[in-house]
Amino acid sequence: MPESEKLIGLFEESTKAADAIDALHELGLRGDQVVVMTGVPYPERALGRHAEWLRLPQVVLAGAVAGLVFGLFLAVITPHLYRLDVGGHPTVSFAPSAVITFVFTMLATIVATFLGVLWEMDFPEFGSKYYHHQVTDGRLAVLVEADGGSAAQVRELLEKHGADPVQWAEKVPL
Amino acid sequence: MPEGRLDDLAGQPGQQAPGMRSEAQEAADYDERLLLAERKDWEINQAVLQPMFRAGKKFWALVGVLGALVAWGLFAWGYLVYWGIGVSGKNRPVYWTLFITTFVFWIGISHAGTMISAVLRLLKADWRRPITRGAEAMTSFALMMAGLYPLIHLGRVWKFYWMIPYPNNRFMWPNFQSPLMWDLVAISTYLIGSTLYLYLALIPDMAMARDHTQSWRYQLYRALALGWRGTEAEWHKLHRALGIFSVAIIPIFLSVHSIVSWDFAVTIQPRWHSTIFAPYFVVGAIYSGLAALAAILVIVRRGMRLQEFLRAEHFNALGKLVMVAGMAWTYFWFAGFLVEWYGNEPVTRELIHEEIAGPLAPLFYLQMAANLIPIGLLVFRKVRTTPWMLLITALLVNVGMYTERLLIVVGSLQRNDMPFNWGTYRPTWVEISIVVMTFAGFALLYTLFSRIVPYVPVWEIKEGRLRYSLRRIGRLLVPTAAEIE
Repeated sequence: MPESEKLIGLFEESTKAADAIDALHELGLRGDQVVVMTGVPYPERALGRHAEWLRLPQVVLAGAVAGLVFGLFLAVITPHLYRLDVGGHPTVSFAPSAVITFVFTMLATIVATFLGVLWEMDFPEFGSKYYHHQVTDGRLAVLVEADGGSAAQVRELLEKHGADPVQWAEKVPL
Repeated sequence: MPEGRLDDLAGQPGQQAPGMRSEAQEAADYDERLLLAERKDWEINQAVLQPMFRAGKKFWALVGVLGALVAWGLFAWGYLVYWGIGVSGKNRPVYWTLFITTFVFWIGISHAGTMISAVLRLLKADWRRPITRGAEAMTSFALMMAGLYPLIHLGRVWKFYWMIPYPNNRFMWPNFQSPLMWDLVAISTYLIGSTLYLYLALIPDMAMARDHTQSWRYQLYRALALGWRGTEAEWHKLHRALGIFSVAIIPIFLSVHSIVSWDFAVTIQPRWHSTIFAPYFVVGAIYSGLAALAAILVIVRRGMRLQEFLRAEHFNALGKLVMVAGMAWTYFWFAGFLVEWYGNEPVTRELIHEEIAGPLAPLFYLQMAANLIPIGLLVFRKVRTTPWMLLITALLVNVGMYTERLLIVVGSLQRNDMPFNWGTYRPTWVEISIVVMTFAGFALLYTLFSRIVPYVPVWEIKEGRLRYSLRRIGRLLVPTAAEIE
């Protein structure tokens, strides 16, 4: 009994998978109805997906700015709040402040990159999802959301392009 | 066989000129190349996962010995905490001793991870692929060991929280103008950055391990995989993030050892007060770090039977890098030494004399021999590609670099501008035990890591295989890499 009108086809070769995806689009399926899962990172557009706009650079930039401001606060403002007068030294000077500001900027940049990419990927996301364990063994899984009773057509198309097996997609615990 | 390679070979339909070698013969020339190896993806998975599950008597004996050394070191640390810092060999003027020497050494070791992973990733050097994870893990564990030393060196370790900036009614605040404070911040940043970098690249392999394991391992890998499925969007975002990380972490790795060097250089201590100290330290760190990585890879390769993934081509390339780093270190060392010698300042002259013909001479000549001989040895391909030869050479480099740090830290402090305040130093059993503890602790963490986490980055190797193929150019069959990133 299928959990939904979702089919999953497993391919051995990326060329055949890409052909199948093109054919699915010709059938009228939208981009978001076809998801490809692979154990290897294929280059962008190799399997039919077009370049995607990511917010990650903006998140990283925001993190860097926040780190810069925090570093400046620690290096330039707090010495005035907690005075520590050392003979011959100004309370705040450029060179030491530059070091601290730089390090905090970089710290916030990398933390923002990490959190930003998790946010972009909606991670962590535990629970059951449509997936096939053979993906990490080298198979290319094409997950298709077939609507309007087109499942038979989709199945036929996937099989025609070499998918083996083609089956109802099942959610597996991840 | 990666897709595309069959097509390339099939494009030459058996036209073999007289005297030409067959394609099979020519392809055999590249047998040593991992990315051209004939392996299915599932076979690679198994080849990486199987060694993780093997933990025989030798493994547990090793863990036991390392654990005992760590326990002994913890006892020595407890002894130091209980009786006070006086049980170490610290004195006036030698107030930085084995603790700070070993701290600098570990910081240096940590530099290879970023060098291999980030720099070579940006340069698209594909030979890095099977060794990146080992290098990144080395960075994180070395930093953990380094991070212990400022705490140990404090003596009263429970006062550590005074270095954390938080509002308090005692009006105590860290002095951000102090290089010691820069150390804390920079090392914490590098540890956080390198650990996140290690973990981010690990997520797809955690999913692979999740799909092939059961029981507690399955639960662990499932948690660490965060729900990874390998969709195109996930790969794209991961690649973008790793690209940003690679760029961002390079200035951090350069800054960390620079800041450590400034702990020394901003003082007016003879032989420390040098403008060249930051790049000199960084280059020395890369030299010792790469050599340590080479040594560890040889040991792990043997211990986990990873001969299929860690091949002559990788040791050859790594050996060349070590050699180049060694040459750069030699240049910086000589540039600093020449200027100090020429300056002929009285205390500096005394220190140089102590090293060349005085009581520090054995250490000085050990340092020079252990750092320079490996450069000459690594010129030979046989040394670079024969594991036991490379192991000895790499260990020699690290003996040399440790001795160099000992001379810089302890040797220099014995003399200063006030001759009535000159002194000597001898380490105590407490210091030696604690130093041994961190070496054993590093080895213990690394040993356990190699049995819990796929040591070889599987997805990176598979990606590399996707890029590589053999292609005929004229009479030659040559490996070529596709530009797919």
